[in-house]
Amino acid sequence: MKIDLQMAWRNVWRNPRRTWLTVAAIAFACLVLVFMLSFQLGSYATMIDSSVKIEAGHLQVQAKGYQDDHEMRQVVEDPAAVGRVLDGIPGVEAYTSRATAFAVISSEERTYAGQVVGIDPVREAKVSSLESLVRRGSFVSPSDPEGALVGDLLADNLKVGLGDELTVIGQGRDGSVAATVLTVRGIFSSGIDELDRTTVEMPLATFQQVFSMGGAVHQVVVTAKDLWSVPAIQRQLAAGLEGPTGVDQSPPLVVLDWNELMPGLLQSIKVDLVSGLIFYLALIFVVAFSILNTFLMAFLERTREFGVMMAIGTPPGRLGRLLLLESLALTAVGIAAGIVLGCAVTLYFQAHGIDISGANELLERFGISGRMYPKLSVLSALTGPLLVLVITGLAALYPALKIRRLRPVEAMRHV
Amino acid sequence: MRTESQRQDRAAGARRPGVALAAAVGIALIGLLAGAVPICGAADAPPDGNALVRAAFDHYRGKASTGTAVMTIHRPDWERTMTMDVWTEGDAQSLVRITAPAKDEGNGTLKKDQDMWLFNPKVNRVIKLPPSMMSQSWMGSDFSNNDLAKTDSLVNDYDHVVTATGSRDGHTVYTVHSTPHPGAPVVWGALELDIRDDDVLLAERFYDEDGALVKALTTSDIGPLGGRVLPATLRMQKADSPSGDKAEWTELHYTDLSFQDSLPERLFTLTNLRNPAS
Repeated sequence: MKIDLQMAWRNVWRNPRRTWLTVAAIAFACLVLVFMLSFQLGSYATMIDSSVKIEAGHLQVQAKGYQDDHEMRQVVEDPAAVGRVLDGIPGVEAYTSRATAFAVISSEERTYAGQVVGIDPVREAKVSSLESLVRRGSFVSPSDPEGALVGDLLADNLKVGLGDELTVIGQGRDGSVAATVLTVRGIFSSGIDELDRTTVEMPLATFQQVFSMGGAVHQVVVTAKDLWSVPAIQRQLAAGLEGPTGVDQSPPLVVLDWNELMPGLLQSIKVDLVSGLIFYLALIFVVAFSILNTFLMAFLERTREFGVMMAIGTPPGRLGRLLLLESLALTAVGIAAGIVLGCAVTLYFQAHGIDISGANELLERFGISGRMYPKLSVLSALTGPLLVLVITGLAALYPALKIRRLRPVEAMRHV
Repeated sequence: MRTESQRQDRAAGARRPGVALAAAVGIALIGLLAGAVPICGAADAPPDGNALVRAAFDHYRGKASTGTAVMTIHRPDWERTMTMDVWTEGDAQSLVRITAPAKDEGNGTLKKDQDMWLFNPKVNRVIKLPPSMMSQSWMGSDFSNNDLAKTDSLVNDYDHVVTATGSRDGHTVYTVHSTPHPGAPVVWGALELDIRDDDVLLAERFYDEDGALVKALTTSDIGPLGGRVLPATLRMQKADSPSGDKAEWTELHYTDLSFQDSLPERLFTLTNLRNPAS
């Protein structure tokens, strides 16, 4: 075996230029794969974080059934008790309470159906990016109980600006008519049509009073320190809410994660991942064909040599194994170089970020900064190169198998 | 518990705005109860659908009416009652004012032709309801603003055909199938009405464009009311409401009804909506 390895290695370097070119092709493919996969996975984390920060949060505590029915009566009775449970869970960054009602929203000139959300002026800013999405005017404040934020599309439709009055009429928790007059203090723009076209945000205390909520709310919205700790937090929170020291109410409380709150988000990420994979596979196949070309050439020009070897008694199987070892050595060098270079490039950009200032305006609307950061992980570093290894191994099989059919006498005569 | 428009909204990705509005519940219901037109002709052949529906409409609505009704909204875990005063005139004018419970007292709706306004005393504002909100539920009930407002649309916007004849409690009952005129501003794909030979409306079923039943109105307590034979109780229930003790329905019950030849015009104005004079 040792002789085979030595022979394989020497054979690889018989034609250094060709070998280096092939190694370069493999290394390049691996570099691209490592970097792009890291970039994709890194941007997903950013996308998810930015999307959940606009409204949904990483987790929410709600009454069971609220997510589907959105009934005024499906409330979280005691948000303070839920807060106490949250305070005891590491990994929770911040939380806030919200209450929502559907209502008729009327300005002097127009009337539209929309939704009114009661938000905690102090806590909301730590949980969602809403405050940073206010384009004109100011955020809601505890000292301004009748001040409200309006989505920019809704403000346009209603033809209101800062300082104008809005009449809100809806249905309270007890079914009675809930009505109030609010003053527009700020206009926000999230880029999400549904939010901008239908939402008015008001202070939670006023909402609770107008809509007869008592002290109850509809959602407790939680953000985590990072995306990966969400499942653990969900488990701990669910356990903390149940049990004798937990929060008891009817309907019972449930904990939903961002995936259940925004099902479309994960799906769109999966679609993106799949389309990325298609690109990667295409790249790998192109590289595989170029390697096949190299191996075939190497094989064909050594036909006489193989013929001689078989004539002096080398079993064809051993010759085949020799070829495979050569291709393995070649590929290994290429992959090693590719992984090292790929990691280097990725780590550089992971520290410095990639400036996508061209799309800055678009990203700003989503609250994403103009820098994207790839995230290197074991998965992203090794998946691509391993695939390359497998496929080039398969490519090398072709000449290796062909060799078994060689007839020594004819081979020796080969030009 | 979704109106047909709510289902459409869901599909369009929009949120479902369920809106509490003081609308003219009584209008459609008063329409059902009022009516002084005796249908003549006991022909052997089934009567003309259009004429039958017109007669039933006139029977329950009359030229003008005044009445009091109690609405009960029933859900598996919750029930709510409201009392209201209702005035109607002609085919297209009506005024409803809520008198109980105290929290909701003073809320009112005015309907004139195709327009509908709502008044809330707490904020002292009159709001005109945009057409897009007409399919929304009224005060969380199973009736929509449309149900209460556009009663004459039933007669004018549909083609009515008698499809079956049966009998119940000694009366002949005609089943009328109604299809909207092309381009008519209605939300339903089809309606089905059960009308008795004395012009009493027994039931109305609402179908969407795919022919699926969305909700159904059934009447009961048929007896003398305001000098005519009319049902005092109307129940609206969505088709997807579960049965038994998990049922969800809304019931409107007339405690008082009287018919007049006409009512003063000033009753059906925005000023009156704000400041009740009568």
